[in-house]
Amino acid sequence: MNNLASQLHFAGIDIGSTMSKAVIVDAESAMKAYVVGPTGAEHRRRANKVMEDVLARADLKIEDIAYIVSTGYGRVNVPFADKQITELTCHARGVASLFPDVRTAIDIGGQDAKVLKIKNGRLTDFLTNDKCAAGTGRFLEVAAETLGLELNEMGRISMQTDTPVKINSLCTIFAQQEIISRLSEGQPLPDILAGVYIAIATRVVKLARQLKVETPVVFTGGVAKNAGMVKAMETVLGMKLLVPQEPLITGALGAAILARDQAYQLVQRGEYDSHREKKLSEAYIEFTEKGS
Amino acid sequence: MVTAVTKGLSLAKEVYQDRGKRVRELRKAGKKIIGYVCLYPPVEIITAMGLIPFRVFGDMNETITAADQVSTTVVCPFLRSIIDLGIKGKFNFLDGIVGAHTCDIGAGLIIQWRDYVKDAAFTHLIDVPHTDHAASVDYFSGQLNSFKRHLEEFTGQKLTDDKLAKAVEQHNRQRQLVRQLYDLRKPDPPLLSSSENLEVLVALFSLPVDEGNELLENVIEEVKNCVNKQVSKKARLLVWGPVFDNTSLYELIESAGASVVVDDTCVGTRAFWADVRPPYDLQSLAQRYLVDIKCPRTYRQSEPAETARSYDKDLESRFNYIRKAVTDWKVNGAILQSVKYCDTHGYEVPNLRHYLDTLGIPSLYIEHDYSERSLAPIKTRVEAFVETLG
Repeated sequence: MNNLASQLHFAGIDIGSTMSKAVIVDAESAMKAYVVGPTGAEHRRRANKVMEDVLARADLKIEDIAYIVSTGYGRVNVPFADKQITELTCHARGVASLFPDVRTAIDIGGQDAKVLKIKNGRLTDFLTNDKCAAGTGRFLEVAAETLGLELNEMGRISMQTDTPVKINSLCTIFAQQEIISRLSEGQPLPDILAGVYIAIATRVVKLARQLKVETPVVFTGGVAKNAGMVKAMETVLGMKLLVPQEPLITGALGAAILARDQAYQLVQRGEYDSHREKKLSEAYIEFTEKGS
Repeated sequence: MVTAVTKGLSLAKEVYQDRGKRVRELRKAGKKIIGYVCLYPPVEIITAMGLIPFRVFGDMNETITAADQVSTTVVCPFLRSIIDLGIKGKFNFLDGIVGAHTCDIGAGLIIQWRDYVKDAAFTHLIDVPHTDHAASVDYFSGQLNSFKRHLEEFTGQKLTDDKLAKAVEQHNRQRQLVRQLYDLRKPDPPLLSSSENLEVLVALFSLPVDEGNELLENVIEEVKNCVNKQVSKKARLLVWGPVFDNTSLYELIESAGASVVVDDTCVGTRAFWADVRPPYDLQSLAQRYLVDIKCPRTYRQSEPAETARSYDKDLESRFNYIRKAVTDWKVNGAILQSVKYCDTHGYEVPNLRHYLDTLGIPSLYIEHDYSERSLAPIKTRVEAFVETLG
């Protein structure tokens, strides 16, 4: 790695359906900086923006980054990335870097939920529900809208009760109707909110059980930031969950660590210099031009 | 042949892209074309009667609209697509259709065809038992006899032993050539892509048997002699499941960095793996179709007393042919695909995944609604699966 001595930094960029995240790590895979921001409609501009922001936070320039891996829903829209790797592989790697013994990871994002089986830090099996909003962050957003609440209030209010109402429908739209009819029955708000969390948890746990849940179990994704949701997941699963300090960025973190691995492999094969040259002449220029 | 200049893989592609073109020409020249659905109507009988068998598929890019009159959306979308195209007149080059009770909807389709497809001169449904016991084979043989008599009535011709034996030889020859075609994907890298392979097979289902055999001979010759464009990939996959007659899935898998080297699907090996064994009569056809075709629509319980006692023995008797494919094609992963609402295949998936686990072969299960757009959300899962193998 001698020739990389002046640029021992690697970046991972995760363009999710709702949020975009970027992480920079050093040669020891330690995190130097991260950013999180909404994705919006223009993936390419967003990719440039989060990259600029994370570079500013790490006090680095794009030329200082040796290798970039993009992941997530919008991974194809990161023109300056060296390689695209799916969010499933990246999440597994990111989670395993924080919890080396992890065997199961459950990630609930804005529009999908995934369950990963991990062994010795590697993804071995997975399931996703990527066709329907049930059991995802979107479900929570719809519920919040229906009840006229902010997302961050919901968790707190739901914790005030131990008697959640039953929300039977797993479909987001039908569940919305069910919430309205529970309201009109006069059910207390905390009970309804707790019921919503249990409904999402039931849906995701059903997915997880298909893969056999082994401990330790790590819970990540934007939805894991919600205390009410963590409690509901623990209740339905019947076990404690580990939640990273910043559960949104495990995909980007894994991507950054995989970027480091990829660069090391190139060095070992003696291909790094030519790769770097090509990179500096094409992709980075594209980044600086389009980004501004 | 279709044109004087096109042959081999380019001819296969041409036929794949316009399946009805050649049979329309033959029909103009006075030939009669008999459509068939699924693998169980014996093509040998159709060929032997001087008719041309044409396997009916749906169209993954045609939105289903007309079929809503005759069935709801909880029905197999592949079979719905077929009746949809039938009602819309897209199979107007067929002189008749024959189906088999391979599954309930497959049987119902033939009744719908009789009632809703204009100008259906000949429709026939063959009843197929769901187990492979000796008594079932005898019953199925009787069903084939009824089919034969119905075709004799339709054509005014007799089916002689000689005609049947000749047709069996031609179709057996086709099966042998297809197995040679599959051998070309045993090396690393394989000598042709799975999409090219599928185009050839779909062409075979659209041409008279002699033209199909000539196509196969040319393709094999061409592939053996040309410079191999394929590259070696870490993932060598087997694809399993019901009918998939469109290259889109294979393109998706191969663009994710894997090679599909072999399959267990009914547009692939299932249709061509078993020959009809002598004496080439209806009983040997019954044996070939009911017992030797390995499709989950028939429950194969070779030793009832033993399999009833042991789950592992049951799995082995149902899936041991997959063990052989895994070894012979050096497979290191499997993609199990199914069309939505296919209970025949859905029932098999957990058991098959368990069997593959015991062979040390990781597998991914995906489901689609027989439309190209339903494949897009599958892409990330296929890519992640390939990454776990790398």
